[in-house]
Amino acid sequence: MNSDFHYYATYCAAILSGYSHEEAMTICYSDQLVDLCSKTLLQELKAPASAATTQLQLELMDARTDIVGLQDITRIWSSFHFLPRDLDAKPHKKCSKTYLNKYRLICGPNGELVKMTVELAKEKGLQAVGLAMHILADTWAHTYFAGTPSMVINNTNYHFYELISGEEGEIRRKITFRHSASLPDDLENSVYTSSLPQNSENSIMNLGHGRAGHLPDYSFIRYLYLPAWGEYEEFTKDNPSDYHHAFCQMIYAMKYLRGVNDEFETDQYDTEAIEPYDEEIDSIIRKRQPDASADWKAFGEKLSGQTIEPFDLMRYQGEYKNASENEKNDTFIGQFIIAALAQKSMVTNQIFRRGSKLAGYSVDYGKKGFRGDKAYRMLIERLEGMDK
Amino acid sequence: MSYWQRIKNILIGIAFLIFSLDLFFFPREEFQYVALILCILLFVRGIRQLIFYFSMARHMVGGKTVLYRAVIVLDLAMFCIGLVSVSSFVIMIYLLIFYGYSGAVDILRANEARHFGTKVWKTKMVNGIIRLVFAILLFVLGLIFYSTDLLIYGFCVSLVYSGIMRIITSFRKTAIVYIQ
Repeated sequence: MNSDFHYYATYCAAILSGYSHEEAMTICYSDQLVDLCSKTLLQELKAPASAATTQLQLELMDARTDIVGLQDITRIWSSFHFLPRDLDAKPHKKCSKTYLNKYRLICGPNGELVKMTVELAKEKGLQAVGLAMHILADTWAHTYFAGTPSMVINNTNYHFYELISGEEGEIRRKITFRHSASLPDDLENSVYTSSLPQNSENSIMNLGHGRAGHLPDYSFIRYLYLPAWGEYEEFTKDNPSDYHHAFCQMIYAMKYLRGVNDEFETDQYDTEAIEPYDEEIDSIIRKRQPDASADWKAFGEKLSGQTIEPFDLMRYQGEYKNASENEKNDTFIGQFIIAALAQKSMVTNQIFRRGSKLAGYSVDYGKKGFRGDKAYRMLIERLEGMDK
Repeated sequence: MSYWQRIKNILIGIAFLIFSLDLFFFPREEFQYVALILCILLFVRGIRQLIFYFSMARHMVGGKTVLYRAVIVLDLAMFCIGLVSVSSFVIMIYLLIFYGYSGAVDILRANEARHFGTKVWKTKMVNGIIRLVFAILLFVLGLIFYSTDLLIYGFCVSLVYSGIMRIITSFRKTAIVYIQ
């Protein structure tokens, strides 16, 4: 998903779930910040680099693919962009533990972890809400891909077709992938940019949906292909339907986070809230365009009657930089960092509990006390603050 | 990182440092070993690809190509043993290209960091420039003078760097704390 959905559509969902304009702005800003909070940015702010929620393209190129580097990559991408659907999943055929650990990281909606993610954000501030909405929405867009470099899971091949509905019914149009990052996708002719094919299992090119280009990020597109892990079965990805579900589930989740709903259950969608606008939302989602920001923005402004300011990465940086050490955690970015560390800690622990070290080692503070990365002391300080 | 991975990393790092010193002081005597090691690496790579196929890639769509590649790499390793004394210069050139590429990536990364306004880009930039210039210089001088010694010294530097990096990485704290 791109900023059109993470920023503007999230704003719309927040308004529809009952948040005020100011609250909705905080939520959608935090949602979009997940795609920009890199180590480089955090270093510039003198904030803990462990709180990074994404990696820039060149950070990835520079990333080491030894065990520590791979764990770092997996922690970031599995925690925030490719939340695993089922950490206890098993493929049909008998397989090695190495394969199983990667297979279990395949992203998808309505898993146990998405429920834990939303519950973790409860009463943790609006930044935590925005962060959770990013992760929830991405479980829909990034279905079938894993947040770890893996050729055997994330690779694709020439059998890749776009499904186009016309007057004569639905037709299959072969998708051509090219590997030039500077050229824009050619939507008219189904020519899209994807990462280079690499035969190395742990190559960065095999991270997430890189091999399928930006297709998962376009709300209008429907396509079918052979996922590397899919045992030669054709999979159809229906983005308009998935984005619609994501939007309704975000409203349902935010109503839970606001305290309107008592609990958050998976596979529940607030379709009632969007009933008056269903046609309008559907037309935005299905419109064939690389960026739907303008349409979502207009819809959001109609809903709230307020102007949605464009995303500005610098907006809260001064506040964080100028705050004293004691006050940093109370700033906008400080709150976001704590929410990010908590999410990373939770996901790493869940993966580690299944006997997989792909996301690193997790130490249970309740049982073994504090060990490891010092940045996570912030979580303990917050816990102690809440106890007082 | 587990204790075993840390120990393994430190040992490999130390081995890199010892080997680079050995190569630095006795370049001619040791060079045959470098070439031989490269052949062994090809062989190990082929075996690893075979293991990779049977443990993982056999589940993958198009996974058979991994098997074919493994067989080709193994075949190449056998072929290379016969070329050790002839192709040493070419092997060194190949190593230098890789070294230069990693320097170029460092420069791009440092430039990106600078663009974001961080203050930690200078060391990376200097490091990248030194490596890139060093690689180009050795490459050009190597081609002009057809001197394998020059290339070997360049290779020594990259080995020292890799060895030190491995040892430093082994001491990094990596565990993530989970608080319920």
